[in-house]
Amino acid sequence: MDVLIQLLLNGILLGSMYAIISVGLTLIFGIVRVVNFAHGEFLMIGMYAVYLLGAHLGLNPYVSIVPVVILLFVFGALVQRFVIQPLLGADEHIQIFATVGLSTALVNLALLVFGADLYSLTVPSARQAVSAGGYTMLVGQIIMFACAVALVAGLHFFMQTTALGRAIRATAQNRNAALLMGVRVDRIYVITFGLGAACVGLASALLIPLYPVTPTIGTYFVLTAFVIVVLGGMRSIYGAFVGALIIGIVDSLSGYYIAPDLKEVVYFAIFILILIFKPTGLFGFGRGTE
Amino acid sequence: MKLLMKAALAAGLALSASQAYAQQTVKVGALYPFSGGLALLGDESFRGLEIAVEERNAAGGLNGKKIELVRGDAVDPNQAVGEARRLTSVDKVSVIFGTYSSSLALAATQVAQLAGVPYFELGAISDPITERGLKYVFRTNPTSKDFANRMVDSVIEAVAPALNVQPKDLKIGIIHEDSLYGQTVSSFQQARAKEKGLNVVETLPYSAKSVDLTPVILRLKSANVDVVLQTSYQNDTVLFFRQMKDQGFKPKAVIGAGGGYSTRDTAQAVGNENIEGALNVDFPQYRTNPQAAPGIDEFVKKYQAKYGIPPRSGHSLTNYMGANVFLDAMAASKDLKADSIREALLKVDIPMGKTATGWGVKFDEKGQNTRVSPFLMQWQGGELVTVFPPEAAVAKMKTGVGTN
Repeated sequence: MDVLIQLLLNGILLGSMYAIISVGLTLIFGIVRVVNFAHGEFLMIGMYAVYLLGAHLGLNPYVSIVPVVILLFVFGALVQRFVIQPLLGADEHIQIFATVGLSTALVNLALLVFGADLYSLTVPSARQAVSAGGYTMLVGQIIMFACAVALVAGLHFFMQTTALGRAIRATAQNRNAALLMGVRVDRIYVITFGLGAACVGLASALLIPLYPVTPTIGTYFVLTAFVIVVLGGMRSIYGAFVGALIIGIVDSLSGYYIAPDLKEVVYFAIFILILIFKPTGLFGFGRGTE
Repeated sequence: MKLLMKAALAAGLALSASQAYAQQTVKVGALYPFSGGLALLGDESFRGLEIAVEERNAAGGLNGKKIELVRGDAVDPNQAVGEARRLTSVDKVSVIFGTYSSSLALAATQVAQLAGVPYFELGAISDPITERGLKYVFRTNPTSKDFANRMVDSVIEAVAPALNVQPKDLKIGIIHEDSLYGQTVSSFQQARAKEKGLNVVETLPYSAKSVDLTPVILRLKSANVDVVLQTSYQNDTVLFFRQMKDQGFKPKAVIGAGGGYSTRDTAQAVGNENIEGALNVDFPQYRTNPQAAPGIDEFVKKYQAKYGIPPRSGHSLTNYMGANVFLDAMAASKDLKADSIREALLKVDIPMGKTATGWGVKFDEKGQNTRVSPFLMQWQGGELVTVFPPEAAVAKMKTGVGTN
C-alpha cells in the first residue's frame, strides 16, 4: 500500500512534467496543425539556455524562466514565420520533413557547440526531498506540478476571455471560416507556435534541477508528448493535462508492477484502446471538425 | 650546362632517395571515429596507438623500417566499411588497428578479413568480434563477458569479504539499459551468478531514455537488495544515483560496468559525495599501482608531453598497450604477410602484470587475448581508484554508497 501511494504520487509529479511539454505541443500540433518533430530540440535549446544563464551569470533556474520563456517564444515564432509558413500550402509531409530536418540540424549543432558530454546545474533547494507520512517528493517536482496547474489555468483564462484567445480558438475550429471573419490566420499561427515553444521554455527551466542536459535530451520526452496530445484530443489543453497525468501514473505503476522495460508497451496499449473506442481522443471535438 | 647537369643529378638522387624511403616504410591503418558523436573517445583511443608508433619509430622503426600511420575516419558502420576498403585496397596497408566502438569493429573486420589484412582490435568489447572465427582478427582487450564475470566475481571476492558475510547471503539485483550493450552484459552476469550460486532476486531491464527510474528503485528497495549490478550509459547512471538518494535506497554496494560509471561528468552531475563508494569495472585507469602495470607512469608522462594535457580517459592506455603487443609481434614475424603475422601472434606469451595495463597476453585460436581482465575501481573523494585485484590496487575498498 505504501509503495502504491508513493508510485501514484510519483506518477502525478511525472505527469505534470509531461503536461507542460504536451500543452505546448498541443498548441502547435493541434492548432497550427504542424507535426513539430523539433519540439524536443526546443526543449534542449531551452535547457542549454537555462544552464548557461545559471553557470555563467549565476541565475537560479526559477529566475531564468522569464528570459528563457521569452527566448523560446521568439525562437518558435521565427521558426513558424520563416520555416513553416512558406510551406503551409505544400503537402503535410513536406512540413514534416522541414521539422525533422530542423530537429537533426539542432541536435548536431548542439553536438558541435557543447559536445556529447552532459551538463548539469546543481540546485540544492530544488533537489530537497520533502517527506510527508513516509512518502517523499522533491521540492522541484512540487514546483513543477504547481506550474503545470497554473499554466493550464492561465491558458484557459487567456483562451476564453481575450480577443486573441478567441481568434486562436476560431482558427483551431475552422481556418477558412476564421479567415473569412477577418482573423489574420498567419499571424495567429506565428503567435500560437511561439506560445507552444514558450511552454517548452518553462518546462526547460523546471527540468534543469532534475535532469542533466545533453544534445539528445529532447528525444527522451517528445514521443510521449505526442501520445499525450493525441490521447487528450489534439486541441484540448485540459485533454493534454489529463492525458499527461494518466500517462505519468501508468508509467509509474507499470514500471513497478509489470516491468520497467515494458511500461511503454502498457501505455501504448492503453493509447490504442482509447483510439479504438474514442477515436477523437479523451477531449476531442468529435468527428467532422477540421 | 654544368648547372643543368648538377640539377639533374640532384633530382636523380632525390628520386632514388624517396624510392629507398618508400621501401623503408610500413603502412599501417588506424581506423577510429575521428569525427561525429564518438569522436572524443575515438581520438583518445587513437592517441595511444600514435604514441606507441612514435616510440617505435624513434627506436629505429620496425626492423629498420619506418611505420607510417594512415588514418581512416569511421563515423558509423557504413563509413567503417568504406574506410576499411580504402585502407586495404588504395593505401594497401599491411595491418589495420582500431576501433573503439563495437559496431564499427564488427563491420570493418569483415572487410579486412576478405582482403586478407590482419585487423588488430584494441578497444571494442563486443564478444562476437573475435567469436566469428575470422582468421586475421586479433584483440588484446577484454570482452563484455570478462566485464560481466569480473562484476559477479567482485561480489564474491571483494564485496562479501569486506562486509564479512557469505556471498550467497547477499541479495543481488541486476539492472541494465535494454539495448544490445546492457542485454549482453546482463545475460553474462546472470549466467555467472547462477554458476557461482549467488542469490539474484531481481533482474530489471529499463530504457536508457527513461526519465524516471523510481519504479526500478522501489522494486530493488522492496526486495531488500544488498548489491546492485548496473550496466548503463551516462544519463541513466545520473538518474539512478539521484533517484536512489531521493527514495532513500541504501544498498551495501553498487557496481557499474564502465560506461556511465567511468566519466567525471557523471560524478559531477551526481555530486562527489553521492557517488562516493560506487564500484566500477572497467579498463585500467591511471590510478593503478605501477608495480602491477609497468610502463603506465612513463606513458602518462609521454602523453602529457605530446598533447599538453593529462590523458582524458583510460582508452589511450589500453590502445597503447595493445599496439605495442601487435608491433612486437610484427617485428618478430618473418615477413609482413597475414599468415606469418598470425603465426607470430599465436606465439606471444606474456604473463599477467607485465604490460602497461597490467594484463598478460596469450591469444587463443580465435584471436582473443585470454590473459585479460578489467579491474575493479571505486569512486573515492572524487577520484576513480583501483581497489581490486590487490596487486593493482592503490586504495582500500570501502563499503556503502553515498552519504545517506
